[in-house]
Amino acid sequence: MKIKILIVLGIFCLLVLGAGGCIGGQAKPQGFSGVMSYDEILYLGSMDGKIMAINPSARDQELNFPSLSNGEWSFAFTMPSKGMACGSSSVSIVIYGTPVMANGLVCIGIYNGKVLMINPSARSQNLSFPQGRSGEWSYPRTDDAIEPIVGSPVVANDTIYVCSSDSRVYALDMTYGDEKWRSVPLDGKLWTTPLVDGDTIYVSTFDGHIYALSINDGSLLPWVFEAKVGFVSPLGMYKGTMFVGSFDRNLYAVKVGDDKPLWGFTGGNWFWATPVVSEDIVYAGCLDGKLYAISSETGEELWRFDAGSGIVSSPVMANDLLVVTCESGNVYLVNVQTGEGRRIKNPDDPQSADRPSIDASIRGHLCVLDGIVYIGAQDNRLYAVDIDRGKIDWKFPLAVE
Amino acid sequence: MVNLWNLIILNPMLNGLVALSSLLPEAVEFGLAIIILTVVVRLILMPLTLRQLNSTKALQSMQPKIQELQKKYGRDKRKLQQEMAKIYKGAGVNPAGCVWPMLIQFPIWIALYQSIMRALATAPENLLDLSRHLYSWQIVNQAIPLNSYFLGLNLGQQSSSAGIGGLILAILVGGTMWVQQKMTTAPSADPKQQSQSGMMLLMMPLMFGMFALMFPSGLALYWLASNVIGVVTQYFIGGGWGYLVSSSHT
Repeated sequence: MKIKILIVLGIFCLLVLGAGGCIGGQAKPQGFSGVMSYDEILYLGSMDGKIMAINPSARDQELNFPSLSNGEWSFAFTMPSKGMACGSSSVSIVIYGTPVMANGLVCIGIYNGKVLMINPSARSQNLSFPQGRSGEWSYPRTDDAIEPIVGSPVVANDTIYVCSSDSRVYALDMTYGDEKWRSVPLDGKLWTTPLVDGDTIYVSTFDGHIYALSINDGSLLPWVFEAKVGFVSPLGMYKGTMFVGSFDRNLYAVKVGDDKPLWGFTGGNWFWATPVVSEDIVYAGCLDGKLYAISSETGEELWRFDAGSGIVSSPVMANDLLVVTCESGNVYLVNVQTGEGRRIKNPDDPQSADRPSIDASIRGHLCVLDGIVYIGAQDNRLYAVDIDRGKIDWKFPLAVE
Repeated sequence: MVNLWNLIILNPMLNGLVALSSLLPEAVEFGLAIIILTVVVRLILMPLTLRQLNSTKALQSMQPKIQELQKKYGRDKRKLQQEMAKIYKGAGVNPAGCVWPMLIQFPIWIALYQSIMRALATAPENLLDLSRHLYSWQIVNQAIPLNSYFLGLNLGQQSSSAGIGGLILAILVGGTMWVQQKMTTAPSADPKQQSQSGMMLLMMPLMFGMFALMFPSGLALYWLASNVIGVVTQYFIGGGWGYLVSSSHT
């Protein structure tokens, strides 16, 4: 009888644990890294925790990956596991930010709380990490980590600037990875990318502040912008005005030095992505599925384009077109003058009007290179979209060994 | 089906939780909101809880008669069931009466669980997901993102990673569950049954103590609040500490 009770309790245990995963708990962080290009090579993080260098030409020719002669490599960085996790003693990393280039090296911040400086040459030789002589480092150096990093690092003055969920901004020496300074804790988690403008770093916070920090020592400068509601998007800047999305579903324009916003524009949900500004027009993607074109001077709406589902990635400009992607996986080419757009068809089902361009959500930063837009989607594949021809050229699975 | 669930149950509860948070002091907003919402939900479900308690009590009071019947008709299962049905009918008790109120409450618990987990939004994906569930009310928008800290505990973090605070919380979850169960578990004259119920009395609190360690502290806080309310309800409805005190005297 005791065995029966134990079996029943065991099943109950499994049901509760299973239910925890099935009945709508929190999704495990998967990451949505953006794509960056440098010297004809694409750099991005995969959803299985790798940092990868991909040559579009080699992918177009469907060469075996990695094609070392074409500058390709893949680097799986792992972290020691914590807590009650069982099994392996290390876990894959999660990447949300977009890599940046720093003196020919790739720098990226990871959700597991580290900043990595990676030498492409050392990675293509698959040497152990970090190769100090090749300029590689990780911050913090030991197995320790700071709080999760969601935004991207920024490079300026031989320094890497990065925000962390411990509500601090870090300045790291680009060559050795030494900490130059760390700011005092600001407000809440900083899931943002800092904005560097001259000698000042601007940071928007979840608690509704825009702080200005000295680039030299991270000290707080006198000007602070304070809003009633927190800011959800990183800052975009154009002609001394910053544009930022707020949790109150507004996009605000804030002039540096002012204590009131220049204007506010209300959308149907949060403006998650950093807006793009060109020729006095702000192009802002909203989680309500619309792309809004707004006058940067007045906040007046010029046109709107309905993408059908939430826009998480910032749109990118390519000639007179804006490439807009959304959660449903659709990719649109939108005319910047008229706001009219056309949808890229799914290459596996070009006749279907319903099937999205890509069979997965799109959340990461897009990259334009030589008339092609590169998109890292949530199916852990990289897609190349030819803008002129309006079609997907190729897709490449990132979960390759 | 999922949309209907979100529309009718999850979204109102989630937005209620977030709106409640924005009315509370920021330092304890979310933790206190979980406790208050748990109390509110328990109050709404009180008629069902009372029905369940009364049915359980009635069934327990009939245990001596049932045991007699078991001895008498132990080998004839059909006859035993017939006689038991007669007794239940005579006393106006439905054995399923203590089960269905629990079943009705189950979706509410799931919604509360989902609300807590979604509102915490510990990763960017979770925050994106949260945006789909929130109303455009100002009171809701003002509260986002919620302060997940409560009395030094990060409610979005696994209790096992939260140090001594998480451990204390897990012990409290297990302890209060044990007290609640002990108050309602009648001692049996049959040593075999006594051993079984004794094991159940220990296993359930142990299991939930373990779950409290494995799930985020916010959920453990909800279990703790729920258990404490259960104990208080039992105390006032059942007339004191019940079998917790009487069994300790024997």
